[in-house]
Amino acid sequence: MAATAYRGLFSLARQASKTVVPRAAGVRLCSTELHPTIRPVNEVQKQTLSEFGQYVAECLPKYVQKVQITAGNELEVLIPPEGVTPVISFLKDHTNAQFTCLADLCGVDMPSRSYRFEVVYNFLSVRFNSRIRVKTYTDELTPVDSICDIHKAANWYEREVWDMYGVFFANHPDLRRILTDYGFEGHPFRKDFPLSGYVECRYDDEVKRVVVEPIELAQEFRKFDLAAPWEQFPNFREHVASEEVPIKEEK
Amino acid sequence: MAARKATTGLTGLAVATNPHHTLGVLYSKILRCLHKMPPDAAYRKYTEQIVTERHNLVKTETDVTKLEQVMNAGQVEEVIQQAENELSLARKMLEWRAWEPLVQEPPSEQWRWPL
Repeated sequence: MAATAYRGLFSLARQASKTVVPRAAGVRLCSTELHPTIRPVNEVQKQTLSEFGQYVAECLPKYVQKVQITAGNELEVLIPPEGVTPVISFLKDHTNAQFTCLADLCGVDMPSRSYRFEVVYNFLSVRFNSRIRVKTYTDELTPVDSICDIHKAANWYEREVWDMYGVFFANHPDLRRILTDYGFEGHPFRKDFPLSGYVECRYDDEVKRVVVEPIELAQEFRKFDLAAPWEQFPNFREHVASEEVPIKEEK
Repeated sequence: MAARKATTGLTGLAVATNPHHTLGVLYSKILRCLHKMPPDAAYRKYTEQIVTERHNLVKTETDVTKLEQVMNAGQVEEVIQQAENELSLARKMLEWRAWEPLVQEPPSEQWRWPL
């Protein structure tokens, strides 16, 4: 795919103001004329993004596992933890990418998986007015390479992920807690960490300081099952969360 | 020789004194680095395409303002910055050997969503 054609398509995408809304699968009688509040699908942008996703996968076949487009035309590149530095350097330095702005760095905890933590990087390209998401995985003990050398903004974000999830970032200049209290034990955003925590603080007049004690709640925790007996979205039974962009050549 | 313009308008980016020379040097360095990669590597193909195209534009167009317009990539100082980034990236890609096939397959349930 020609490099200049990609850039040309991008300016086309910027100029495309109105697109014909196609019939989405599983949605009956849905068009902007009948339902003006339904968000129109921008097919041109989706096409440009999927082509760029294929371009990234072609340039970095060693590290790109999967490329997908989620709802709202968001491109996601899924990589193993070894690929963090190469892929993010590529996205920042390559002329056709130039994703110079780190918009967000966060973690996700999914305890049912073997590599329970996901680290999500969001980038913005100011030159091409485009966003991209990069996702890696790790477990409690495996470190992920820090990207502080590439994006200075990652410093406090990685500290937050360490504090909240316990994901260690190798070669981080200053990895310490940032949001929790000074002697706090535990990683609060993990799914097995309870909502009210394990400890509570109070001022003790005898010792004249704040003491930390195990928690005592007046009412026990109530978990509500919020599922309704009826199906909520019968029009969206076949709806998929994300569409995979084909990156392997058919041989 | 009077400066082409007073400022680039971008903090920390000084006006380039001899942009054609700088760009020529950078592009030839990038091409020399890319030649060390295997010829079927996609990164090499696409980057060579971009770099030779821009190199030809630099060689043919002597006026800097017209060069900026033809390249359509921002000011020459930004183009020089992009070339420096591309050079450092090309050297790192050579070291990482990023054209090889996938180094680690994900576990089967890793990217399934909803869980």
